[in-house]
Amino acid sequence: MPSAATARAARVTDDAEADGDDERTIIGFFCRECAYAAADATGNARIPLPATVRSVLVPCTGRVGPLHVLSALAEGADGVFLAGCLEGQCHHREGNLSAIDRVAFVQRLLASVGVEPERVQMFTMSAADSPRFVAATRQMHATISGLPRLGRR
Amino acid sequence: MPLTARGREILGSLPGVAPVTTTDGIGCEIVRLDELCIGCGRCVKACPSGAIAESSLFDPAQLFDAPPGTTRGALGAALRRIARHEPDGPFEVPERVRTFRTIEFDRGRCLGCGACTRACPTGAVAARPVGGDEIGARHVVAESLSAVPA
Repeated sequence: MPSAATARAARVTDDAEADGDDERTIIGFFCRECAYAAADATGNARIPLPATVRSVLVPCTGRVGPLHVLSALAEGADGVFLAGCLEGQCHHREGNLSAIDRVAFVQRLLASVGVEPERVQMFTMSAADSPRFVAATRQMHATISGLPRLGRR
Repeated sequence: MPLTARGREILGSLPGVAPVTTTDGIGCEIVRLDELCIGCGRCVKACPSGAIAESSLFDPAQLFDAPPGTTRGALGAALRRIARHEPDGPFEVPERVRTFRTIEFDRGRCLGCGACTRACPTGAVAARPVGGDEIGARHVVAESLSAVPA
């Protein structure tokens, strides 16, 4: 069940590929309670962010399953990251802890078929921590830019 | 399958019960179709003898074998698009990931009651009748029980 937003973001990527653009695409799943607010604050402060990152708003990172992440990768993304609340501060009790384990699961799944596990990562931050959001986004951009484009069949 | 400790205790406490003879696989033979399994763990909860357990490992090949139209099938299809080689084999699953675990079935502890078959939502567990010898053994238990004075 890839979300409409993932599909939309992937379509943008396909267009970019058709243009011969070597720009990577990163899908970020942002928790409504924290990371999305941090992203909003970053935007209000007019801090520049890498244009490779496309955001998908989720009610909680616990909603994001292996299928969302793998679909994004299969449909055109080069990397996927989740940004959720700090450990112990999930507004839905343990959604972020589930997300951390699911990301670890997807990383092992990718590693088992020869894909770099660092293409999928999880970050935690508070709603007020805009600098951390910027750092996470830039770190993800740097990681993915250092990897080859993800080949697909 | 020998009687469980609890079963022996109950039979032993009854007066006038003949020595109980049992053999392997009383009841049905359980056949698991792992490609249909969605890892929900209902069979684990339903099993009265603890013959079924969720392991801490998961084999990615299970995703590739899953039928299309299922979540595992969709995962397998997505993974196949980006895979660079065939899966390396089972890996350790993080604690909170519950549904992606290979189910381990211990035939030696199975009673053949079929509870797992009834609990399975996808038909991944089939219960088949066993051969003549084992049905005979079931009669031995039935006779010993009928020897209990009313």
